[in-house]
Amino acid sequence: MASLMRRPCLSALRTPLATRNVAGVTQVVAFHASARRQILPPEPQTIQGTMNDPAPIPTPHPSHGSYHWTFERLVCVGLVPVTIAPFAAGTLNPVMDAVLCSLLVLHSHVGFQASIIDYFPSRRVPKTASFLNWLLRGLTLTTAIGLYEFETNDVGVTEAIKRIWKA
Amino acid sequence: MASLRTTSRLIASSRPLFRPASLARSYATVESGAQEPAPKVKKFQVYRWNPDTPSEKPKMQTYELDLNKTGPMMLDALIRIKNEIDPTLTFRRSCREGICGSCAMNIDGVNTLACLCRIPTDTTKESRIYPLPHTYVVKDLVPDLTQFYKQYKSIKPYLQRETKSEDGLEYRQSPADRKKLDGLYECILCACCSTSCPSYWWNSEEYLGPAILLQSYRWLADSRDEKTAERKHALDNSMSVYRCHTILNCTRTCPKGLNPARAIAEIKKMMAAH
Repeated sequence: MASLMRRPCLSALRTPLATRNVAGVTQVVAFHASARRQILPPEPQTIQGTMNDPAPIPTPHPSHGSYHWTFERLVCVGLVPVTIAPFAAGTLNPVMDAVLCSLLVLHSHVGFQASIIDYFPSRRVPKTASFLNWLLRGLTLTTAIGLYEFETNDVGVTEAIKRIWKA
Repeated sequence: MASLRTTSRLIASSRPLFRPASLARSYATVESGAQEPAPKVKKFQVYRWNPDTPSEKPKMQTYELDLNKTGPMMLDALIRIKNEIDPTLTFRRSCREGICGSCAMNIDGVNTLACLCRIPTDTTKESRIYPLPHTYVVKDLVPDLTQFYKQYKSIKPYLQRETKSEDGLEYRQSPADRKKLDGLYECILCACCSTSCPSYWWNSEEYLGPAILLQSYRWLADSRDEKTAERKHALDNSMSVYRCHTILNCTRTCPKGLNPARAIAEIKKMMAAH
């Protein structure tokens, strides 16, 4: 039970960012750790099982693990030549434009997904996590549709950047 | 032994039995001669929290030490504070030479071992000593590493092997295979790297953290281990490994000069290839 009384380091030092000292001068606390204590303050310590039990391992899920990571890396690496090519070649190819757009959408989707897993863990805030995941899916879909419209009915991404660059 | 004792007795008898009080001194203290150098007083701010009074907030307590009378390392300063100024100051220490990993703490903003960290000689600046960041604190500078050790246990840190060796004596390994374990086996599990990792701060319940992943890779890379596939399969989820975003705080802070980030990258490569 003693473990329940332990408080996390630093969380107990929680103070408003700007405090006034005795002389009435505003001091800004210069200590910057992660802001986790402001967003998701740690809960009292709980230990699953006994001290000697191993920590539980999450269920293996290659599509969320190694496949996901490999896919993400391939998209990243693929983006480099696709981004440079149209400007280096100086030609506009709708297929290249489509590839660039779809890779960009995938890349940003995976990036935001990682942020949600990091900062809104579903073990802690399951409803917020699933809401944000659905919101992200909706936004990704909207972006994809928007880019499709832009590519088919307008000038396309590469040409748009070119025009803005020269404007 | 007998001869030694006689000699010492001879020396003892050659000295006067009673010495004047002014000449008498205890051998444990530093001799204070006439030309004592000017004291170099440095301030140390140490994090204090006492579990006996849990409603009291943690505070920073300032201690002043003369660096001329203190050893060169932070651990010497802490031991001197405990011995001479405040016996209630609590911290873990054992080997005082960077091999046990007990005295891991956050000194001047960097996770390190107090016994391997020199006291900055600049006396105008105070040194600030905290427990390892984002850990549950047992008392003062003592962090609770239960979750860390439980995670270490979950990766099965031992040789798993079904087949016997050919000669039935020992499991042999080529020098090249042995070389793969260099930079891995030296880890002393001081938890400096894991507690410096922002990903571990946020998700220590499920993410294993750099220290445990380095150990995991130590067994994945071992040519004698036969459960490599099972080990890789156990790590294949979104939390255990892939919360690492190559921030590299782990490599930067490691007091033993190891490279946990490289080990994690190797794990990712192994998992991607399988």
